[in-house]
Amino acid sequence: MDIFNMLLQGFWVSVIPGNLLACIIGVIIGTLVGILPGIDTVSTIALLLPFSYGMDSTAALIMFAGIYYGSKYGGSTTSILINVPGEAASVVTCLDGYPMAQKGRAGAALSVSAIGSFVAGTIGIVGLTLLAPPLAKAALAFGPPEYFAISLVGLIFLSKLTGTSTLKSALMAAIGVMLSTVGLDSMSGISRFSFGIDELDRGFDLSILAMGIFGIGEILSTMTQINTATDIPLVKFKDLYPTREEWRRSIAPMFRGGVVGFLVGLLPGPAATISSYLSYALEKKCSKNPDEFGYGAIEGVAGPEAANNSAISATMIPLLSLGLPFCGATAILLSGFMIHGITPGPALITEQPALFWGLIASMYIGNVLLLIINLPLIGIFVQLLKTPLHILMPMVTVLTLTGAYSINNSMFDLIWVVIFGILGFLLRRTGFEPSPLLIGLVLGSGLERGLTQGLIICNGSIWAMITRPISATILSLGVIALFYNVVRWFTKINCAEKKVNC
Amino acid sequence: MQDKSVATTANKYPSKPITFIVPFGIGGGTDLVARLMEKSAPAYLGQSLVIINKPGASGTLGWNELSGAKPDGYTIGIAGTELLLQPLYGPSKYHYPTALEPLAQIVSLSMVMAVKKDQPWQNIDDLIAYAREHPGEIKYGHTGVGGLGHVAGEAFAKIANIHLEQVPFQSGAEATASLLGGHVQVIFINPASTKEYIKSDMLKALAVSGEQRLTDPVYTTVPTFKEQGFDVVYDNWYTIAAPKGLQPEVKGKLVDGLKAMINNPEFKKNIEQLGLEISYLGPKELQKKWLDDSEQLTKAVQETGILDKIKDQKK
Repeated sequence: MDIFNMLLQGFWVSVIPGNLLACIIGVIIGTLVGILPGIDTVSTIALLLPFSYGMDSTAALIMFAGIYYGSKYGGSTTSILINVPGEAASVVTCLDGYPMAQKGRAGAALSVSAIGSFVAGTIGIVGLTLLAPPLAKAALAFGPPEYFAISLVGLIFLSKLTGTSTLKSALMAAIGVMLSTVGLDSMSGISRFSFGIDELDRGFDLSILAMGIFGIGEILSTMTQINTATDIPLVKFKDLYPTREEWRRSIAPMFRGGVVGFLVGLLPGPAATISSYLSYALEKKCSKNPDEFGYGAIEGVAGPEAANNSAISATMIPLLSLGLPFCGATAILLSGFMIHGITPGPALITEQPALFWGLIASMYIGNVLLLIINLPLIGIFVQLLKTPLHILMPMVTVLTLTGAYSINNSMFDLIWVVIFGILGFLLRRTGFEPSPLLIGLVLGSGLERGLTQGLIICNGSIWAMITRPISATILSLGVIALFYNVVRWFTKINCAEKKVNC
Repeated sequence: MQDKSVATTANKYPSKPITFIVPFGIGGGTDLVARLMEKSAPAYLGQSLVIINKPGASGTLGWNELSGAKPDGYTIGIAGTELLLQPLYGPSKYHYPTALEPLAQIVSLSMVMAVKKDQPWQNIDDLIAYAREHPGEIKYGHTGVGGLGHVAGEAFAKIANIHLEQVPFQSGAEATASLLGGHVQVIFINPASTKEYIKSDMLKALAVSGEQRLTDPVYTTVPTFKEQGFDVVYDNWYTIAAPKGLQPEVKGKLVDGLKAMINNPEFKKNIEQLGLEISYLGPKELQKKWLDDSEQLTKAVQETGILDKIKDQKK
């Protein structure tokens, strides 16, 4: 009951006109950040910090949080419409969102993604409201050996998402892992595979890779197709929203995605991206018609788009109740807090209840606002499809390159975006699906660091490492699932043979 | 004639915003101090600061850019101990202590050696006794191979004649989380990272690495290594630097402006809120300090074997 009283007080704080306005501004900027490919949350918040100095601290933080969770709403827009993800977390949405748009169901995909975002965002905030301190403590039980286990199991399951051959997917994931080893080695401090180029010490940035392979790569693909404009079907107004059947198929994925995203969000790393991959893999397993995945299955949009939103709420848990930022975006939020004289830590909830609960209440309000802003926008976005590609694509290119530059203020990164763009284009031309490459890059560094740090912690014994209770559980789940798949594969072959015999 | 025009440009300085290079990522410790400066700068420097984050290669990418920038006073940047440490491990493009001109030291802070609150160790001696009885069992976390936390950790282990296994983490948050979760037993880290947890009784500090104790109320009861009989004295600091060759008038304006800003009570309060401590030094003292520290750190990385280890791996 106490929590509800506090939350109610939080609502009073968050509806003060100044704070409400900050929330509205935050979610609008956030939506834009999500929609525009290339522009990322971290640099946007950093850019806006100076403008917040004159603001009341609660209002400023409500605004920054709004940008953060708002950015995951719009991320799917360009994924669905033009196959260019607005953010790394929406790469997976391209897989089924874009085929849906090609079939004339862009409106439905966008609606499902907005509503899924709202549902899961709310699940995440409810979790944040009720469970923050105990969950933050539970997250601490995960140390390097556990991250190793998660990354390993993750790599096995997330590398094959689409219908392309297992070998091709595994190859892509392996190259992703290899790319993750470029840069300064955390264990010895020496640079690896950098060929004496200082800028390579930074390693490959997730966003740079995503923007190149999926952004520029898609633009190149579009450029080389003849008469693509005629491919895009015109959408009638009644087709803007999902049909009853599409609804029925989306509801369960939204909730499942919400739960998956929330759990992934508690752990370090780019949670929103990993959770969307995980949710996609899960939906494919749960679906009655897995063959549709990759060709416009609405579950493949609803699940991941939901997951990345609840992941965002969950990443706020270690930040708000322990003061520990586990990813880049929460690190810049932490800076925002500190510059406004507030130090998040274990004592924040008791020392600054008005701020803490005001912020959480503003997230409930912000999520509703985002839904209200996003639903009517769908009609407008679908009209975007009428824009001739020779006008739309150069604009997207400029945005992508600008965003890529703003991450590290580096010309060198721009060169890489272009190189990855060409690579992405060639991969698609040759029938490779590049999304496992991204998950390889993300999980590869966790895999390596978890292994090296974990081995030191466990005195060099790999056995001690994999028998720690949590890592053992995760690894066994992986083994069971792997075993199940192998058995099913054999039985399938058997059946096929029998049929032939019959 | 020429002299006159030079003088007038110096008089007009600063006539446009000043670029401020932060050689680390957004959201880190140096970035935070830079953003606090951004907040106060217009009042003291007469122009706003434009922060450019140039992360990579432990800060050296950003400092290379700073060292190579035009010394017109419109490009300055922030530096930390990595400025002296990194060139020790391999060739760097510039010799930073001479290629850069220090303008002001903002903060200086010791490293903290922290353990979980429920550990039975009350002081360093307890920990050493435990480490002797259980060799190889104590692992310590720090935020980067060859960084100050690593140097302090190895130096302590060497002086105490015990074996501590090092675990490098990516950030202060990651190292702290690992200590809180009991995955490592000790961390050597900057005091800002642990302050909130010591306040909330989740961690305790066994020693600080400064010449004197920290003045923050949370840390006043924590003795230095020296007080406990161990010669482990390392200070991390943040300074503002410019490329060498500033005109005296421009330099004078920057030095005076920065001094006034750093000594302003409001700025001091903001810095303290981050868990840091103001410790102003002017350009002359700093130039000497850089050379002294560089000498001390060179000796430390040699004696602790860190240098050999890194060089060994590079082969």
